[in-house]
Amino acid sequence: MASQGMTYEGCNFFRQRLILATLSGKRVKIRNIRSRDDNPGLRDFEASFIRLLDKITNGSQIEINQTGTVLFYQPGLLYGGSVEHDCNTQRSVGYYLEALLMLAPFMKNSLKAVLKGVTNDQNDPSVDLLKATAVPLMKKFGIDVGVEIKVTKRGMAPGGGGEVLFTCPVRRTIRPIQISDPGKIKRIRGTAYSVRVSPQMANRIVDSARSILNKFIPDIYIYTDHMKGANSGKSPGFGLTLVAETLNGTFLAAEMVSPPQGQEPMLPEDLGKACAKQLLEEVYRGGCVDSNNQSLALLYMMLGQQDVSKIMLGPLSPYTIEFLRHIRDFFQIMFKIETKAPVEDEERKGGEKVLMTCVGSGYTNISKTTK
Amino acid sequence: MEGKERKEQKKHQHKHSGPKAQKKNKKKQSGQEPEQDARKRNPKAFAVQSAVRMARTFHRTQDIKTRKHHIPLVDRAPLEPPPIVVVVVGPPKVGKSTLIRCLVKNYTRQKLGDICGPVTIVSGKKRRLTFIECPNDINSMIDVAKVADLVLMLIDASFGFEMETFEFLNICQVHGFPRIMGVLTHLDSFKNSKALNKTKKRLKHRFWTEVYQGAKLFYLSGMVYGEYQLREVKNLGRFISVMKFRQLVWQTSHPYVLADRMEDLTNPEDVRQDPKCDRTVCLYGYLRGTFLKNKGQVHIPGVGDFGVGDVSFLPDPCPLPATQKKRALNEKERMIYAPMAGVGGVVYDKDAVYIDMPGGHAKQLQEEMRPTTELVQSLIGTHATLDAKMAASKVSLFTDREALTQEEVEVSGAKQGPTESQVWDPEAKRQRRKAIFAGQDEEKDDEDEGEDSDDDDGEEEEDEDEEEEEEDEDSEEEEEEEEEEGDKNESGPPLVKKSEDVEKEEVKEADVPSVKRQKVEEVKRKAEKEVVAEVPAFADSDDELEKSEAEEESGEEESEDEEEQVKGKVPADSGHCSEEEGAEEEEEDDDDEEEEEGESGDEEEDEDSEMEEETSNAEVPQKKAKGPKVTTQQHEEEEEEEEEELSYDTEGALRWKQGLAQKAAEAFLRRQQATPNLRKLVYGTVAEEDGELEEEEVGGLFKVSRPEKGKRLRADAMDCSRFELDASHDWDQEEMLASIKDCFVTGKWEGDKDAATLLKEDDELYGDFEDLETGEVHQGESGAAGAEGGSDEDDDGNRDEDEEEKPQVKFDDQEIQKNKRLEKKRKMKERFNSAYDDGDGDATYFDDLKDEMKKQADLNRAEFENVDDETRVQYEGFRPGMYVRMEIPSLPCEFVTNFDPHYPIILGSLGGSEGNVGYVQMRLKKHRWHGKILKTRDPLIVSMGWRRFQTIPLYYIEDHNGRQRLLKYTPEHMHCGATIWGPITPQGTGFLAVQSVAGTKAGFRIAATGVVLDLDKSVTIVKKLKLIGYPYKIFKNTSFIQGMFNTVLEVAKFEGASIRTVSGIKGQIKKALRTPAGAFRASFEDRLLMSDIVFLRSWYPVTVPQLYNPVTSMLLPPGEKDSWAGMRTLGQLKFDTGVRNKPNKDSLYKQQQAKGKTPRDLVRPAVIREPHERQVAQLLHALGTVYGTKRKVARTEMRAKHKDFLKQKEQQEEEKQKRLKEEKKKLYRIMGQKEGKKLKSSLKGRAKDD
Repeated sequence: MASQGMTYEGCNFFRQRLILATLSGKRVKIRNIRSRDDNPGLRDFEASFIRLLDKITNGSQIEINQTGTVLFYQPGLLYGGSVEHDCNTQRSVGYYLEALLMLAPFMKNSLKAVLKGVTNDQNDPSVDLLKATAVPLMKKFGIDVGVEIKVTKRGMAPGGGGEVLFTCPVRRTIRPIQISDPGKIKRIRGTAYSVRVSPQMANRIVDSARSILNKFIPDIYIYTDHMKGANSGKSPGFGLTLVAETLNGTFLAAEMVSPPQGQEPMLPEDLGKACAKQLLEEVYRGGCVDSNNQSLALLYMMLGQQDVSKIMLGPLSPYTIEFLRHIRDFFQIMFKIETKAPVEDEERKGGEKVLMTCVGSGYTNISKTTK
Repeated sequence: MEGKERKEQKKHQHKHSGPKAQKKNKKKQSGQEPEQDARKRNPKAFAVQSAVRMARTFHRTQDIKTRKHHIPLVDRAPLEPPPIVVVVVGPPKVGKSTLIRCLVKNYTRQKLGDICGPVTIVSGKKRRLTFIECPNDINSMIDVAKVADLVLMLIDASFGFEMETFEFLNICQVHGFPRIMGVLTHLDSFKNSKALNKTKKRLKHRFWTEVYQGAKLFYLSGMVYGEYQLREVKNLGRFISVMKFRQLVWQTSHPYVLADRMEDLTNPEDVRQDPKCDRTVCLYGYLRGTFLKNKGQVHIPGVGDFGVGDVSFLPDPCPLPATQKKRALNEKERMIYAPMAGVGGVVYDKDAVYIDMPGGHAKQLQEEMRPTTELVQSLIGTHATLDAKMAASKVSLFTDREALTQEEVEVSGAKQGPTESQVWDPEAKRQRRKAIFAGQDEEKDDEDEGEDSDDDDGEEEEDEDEEEEEEDEDSEEEEEEEEEEGDKNESGPPLVKKSEDVEKEEVKEADVPSVKRQKVEEVKRKAEKEVVAEVPAFADSDDELEKSEAEEESGEEESEDEEEQVKGKVPADSGHCSEEEGAEEEEEDDDDEEEEEGESGDEEEDEDSEMEEETSNAEVPQKKAKGPKVTTQQHEEEEEEEEEELSYDTEGALRWKQGLAQKAAEAFLRRQQATPNLRKLVYGTVAEEDGELEEEEVGGLFKVSRPEKGKRLRADAMDCSRFELDASHDWDQEEMLASIKDCFVTGKWEGDKDAATLLKEDDELYGDFEDLETGEVHQGESGAAGAEGGSDEDDDGNRDEDEEEKPQVKFDDQEIQKNKRLEKKRKMKERFNSAYDDGDGDATYFDDLKDEMKKQADLNRAEFENVDDETRVQYEGFRPGMYVRMEIPSLPCEFVTNFDPHYPIILGSLGGSEGNVGYVQMRLKKHRWHGKILKTRDPLIVSMGWRRFQTIPLYYIEDHNGRQRLLKYTPEHMHCGATIWGPITPQGTGFLAVQSVAGTKAGFRIAATGVVLDLDKSVTIVKKLKLIGYPYKIFKNTSFIQGMFNTVLEVAKFEGASIRTVSGIKGQIKKALRTPAGAFRASFEDRLLMSDIVFLRSWYPVTVPQLYNPVTSMLLPPGEKDSWAGMRTLGQLKFDTGVRNKPNKDSLYKQQQAKGKTPRDLVRPAVIREPHERQVAQLLHALGTVYGTKRKVARTEMRAKHKDFLKQKEQQEEEKQKRLKEEKKKLYRIMGQKEGKKLKSSLKGRAKDD
């Protein structure tokens, strides 16, 4: 009776597989997870992710073999509600939050999740970045009222101790979008944060970042956010998140975090400059969605009603490409991918863009109760 | 659908001559009068008389307006819609087959014999129809209702409504209401026109209450040569062709196929070895509903859930006419396609086309009027053409084993040809007559007439009854049902007769196994034959691919992709990767390499020398020139890597790791930029990254077998959504910074959005100042405008001025220009105003929404319009209207062996997680016509979504606090909740329930209807549980209670719970007592009595039994398909096995002995006296009373005297006693003294003596 399942190998794109399995209701089996590694099997952060998934669903079945190299997942129904989760500090909260962003609108009850752990690290998109880019993106799909990501406590890399509140309403259907013009950047905003270091660090970051960005646009404002006491987590660190907002409401973001305590330290000036350059790179890539949220946008497009959705993206990231393949596996949906090369000598708007077009799968949130 | 059908209305022709035209002309000439509207001419008549009334009328109009609104939906109807499904429903012997035959004949001028499976015809320039006949079986009725667009509901007017009709209407209501058209037949049996009219009216009104007021009811008055009257059929046909349909929610969200052709593809050898092995079956049909994705899951009602092996689309076997100009269809375009009935011109297969050549239609019609000749003809025709075709298409079909197949062909030919012609022709005539519906009708008509006349009488009586009862509708309904039942009973004998007929037929077996059955076999045989021919073709279905490959080699990259898609190969990467493909890819690469060695050589050098300096600008054109050559890049990269590798070796073992991800990203990005076709990268082939990394890995670190290792690394890489920086971009360089300059508002704008240009345009539109300043300032302005690239007009102006050189002098020209400009401006303003008014005056939220939907619909249509079908299918899925072939592996063998084309086969696609099972909560109401209430835990057959299944529901009702309390039975006239274990179905889906699908039972079979509310993986239904205890020790307000629990632990769990006595004293459990086990201390609001009973009300969660048993009625042998029986209810089970509960003796009813009456005492009447006697008696009584009183008084006196006397006497006695006592005392004293003296003296005397 149960629908057919998928089999994969290796732990890469672990989240994608579990998320898509949950949304499509198909079982998934992942074999050979780090089977050749010195330390085989699932890592703690993956186990923590599975636990989180278990918390927000009802009736999921998860089986892991003795060594942790084989995972079987039979998804249940997305339940939502109030969830509190201690995220493993190996990965930042962003790792978990990215998954929640994808699942949250399709739950039975609106999600109110408190995630504890590392809020900013060098691997994953930080909470600030997601707050600045993913939330406005969701608004475009009709998930507008009540989406909130709030950093109540900030915790840096090795120690953690941060806390993030994420709330999201539920939707029955997602509306299709057609966004092909990102528009011109009208302002740049940012947050320079520092915890358990001198508050001056943030100011130094701001100055250095501005020095680069001022060449393009005067409307730049970078907030400094210095958290103290109980709100400052367990490890010292600082970082910068920059967001460029366009006239059409596209948000492109870049971020940089100081290396965790114990590793070779980084000067705040360098960090600021690097981050600004990263933003420029992001602008160069362009598109209506920044490179971190490509997969989120594509997912919502794909889960929309049976209408054509279009979106202009920058070059596809490897993660997105794999995501597209997984989407085809789970939902049998292919995107029409058209490359739009920049017009020579006419417009200097960065690199090639990709126009992604798809017909939604007509997904409806079957968890949501009607009464 | 509808939009396309809309014809352009003929326009009103204005009169050009005659009095009317003259009058109009006069009016026109007379002046402005007619232009003024009435409102202006006579303002008083339109003045507001009453504000209240105005408000009311306004409200009313708004109400009416909004009531018309439906939620606007995106119109997803395809441009070329699938044939409309017309279902002909009705009880048996009502004329369903005849009607279909007549309609088909009406549309296509072709006669059909047996209606076997769906019949698709082209009915008009833009419309096709598929007719299905619904067998009289509740399973089929349910299935058919789910796919119907239009229902022709046949009603035997001579008999009236039958239960099936109402059942079907209710089924329709639950599963979305398709268009329903009633058709009254057997109207010729009425001899009396008055009775006929009355019946028509009665039936019409009843029909209206069921469907809607004014629903169309068609009358087919009589039969002519076994067919309905031509004119009436034609009218009905017209009605069908112009009918509009609405979208039903379930259908528009679920693709489905009504299979009109079935083929068994199982390897015959497998079947020979194990006749019961699972079959691979191909089902064909038009795709309906919505887009279908390949490799999905389908549910076949009556069979089960299956994964689809493969879906492919075929050319339309029954296409719409190509050109649309003509008024009517010509003979050739009147196509008919009914492969199950053996009719249809062209039958397509995946790689073959079968052409059925039945000869000219006209000729055929003349030759044979009998219906089934077409079949035989077509069969013979098919045989011939097949042969010819086989000979012709030998190459494609039989590549490897020619001799064998030749034999097969011969054998099959030899088998088929003679047997058919010999066996069928002579006998068939007789047979056909008998078994065919029409023929039977003819014969039976005589009988029927007999019946009918009987029926008529009954009917008339009924009518009379009806008239009497017409006031009360509801009661009428019930009455009618009863009557119908009664009628059924009456019509017992004829039924028996029919069954006898059937028996007779069976006895004659050899010649009369009913034509329907024979055809099944025929079709089957045909299918098998086809399979035999086709299997080899399928086995090496590569040839097509080869062909395509050959084509594609010459073609472009894109088509290569398609080919890969066609092959169904999964693009390789991490988990996805397949080895062969990689190899293949490599081969391709090699080819490419060879072609481009020269170029690549150059590039290698380039790459080696400069990494950073190579900007994307430089790169892109290169790649463009090369076209699809991804591979060169890879080779470059590989080369690169190798070189780098060397350096790593020298520098340190671990350094390679640092830049790895970055480099990969870098390379990747470059490749991505390079690929003209990203689609290939994403979906097409192996991402070449693997290759590189493999090599590195091997060279750098381990000596492990290559491919595995590489894959592992990729597969076990870090799962991160970050997109690393492109190292080739150095953001310190001005060049780089300049490349994104226009991304900011400070940069250059596009022509149409540039602020300056926009301002200019605005000036043109609204700039009045321009006129004022024409003279002096004009120069400067236009100059500025020219510099900014102004509009044509301005340019014109400039040019003019330049030419003339003296604007002041040539004033006239200026004036003309000015006037022109003014005119233009005025026009524009008018246009704007009208647009503004029209747009804004009416534009409501609703209109906006509608506009939005329309825009979306247009986009949907336009987006993939020009893409070829092969590619389009991959993006959109198969779109409705396509003729698809669905291959389903592992169908149970019974599906094939017991196949009966009369039963509709539906392939309903299941979306998302609809293939899973879970708890489904529903709102349910017992149908008011169903006889009995339903019991919790009694199995019920539910039809929900595509499925029919048996399950065990638990009924519950929700209390005010949200608690779901279990009910033992469904409430009588109320909704209640029901929870089942069943397939996940979206909320809002309707369902119906029946208790059994086997046979026909008396009464209304639909037990309940409802809607799905919620889906979950757990349930929260509770059952009330009262725990009872008894006090064994009572203090003031505290009591010790025992018997409620068994252990201390149990008590501990309930500490603090409130309890109550039967008499209503409330209390609370305080603490467990050590002994006796389970006893506890409780305090109450008042003192208990020992006789009190204490109870604790609690809620016990119940579990829903996990029974999900799909109804597999299609797998039953033909003829028994309506006899599916699943789990029995407890009651049935007991009844069937004869088990009876042993009842409690006390509850049994005993014979009550009436107690005998005890006679009362006799009552004597009082003595009646004469007045005199009465007086005497009164006197005597009075005397007696006086005497009595006297005596009483005397007695009291005497008693008092006697008392006194007794007192006196007592006193005297007392005194006497006293005296006597005194005396005695004296005497005794004296005696005592004497005694003492005597003793003294005696003592003295002795002493003296001593």
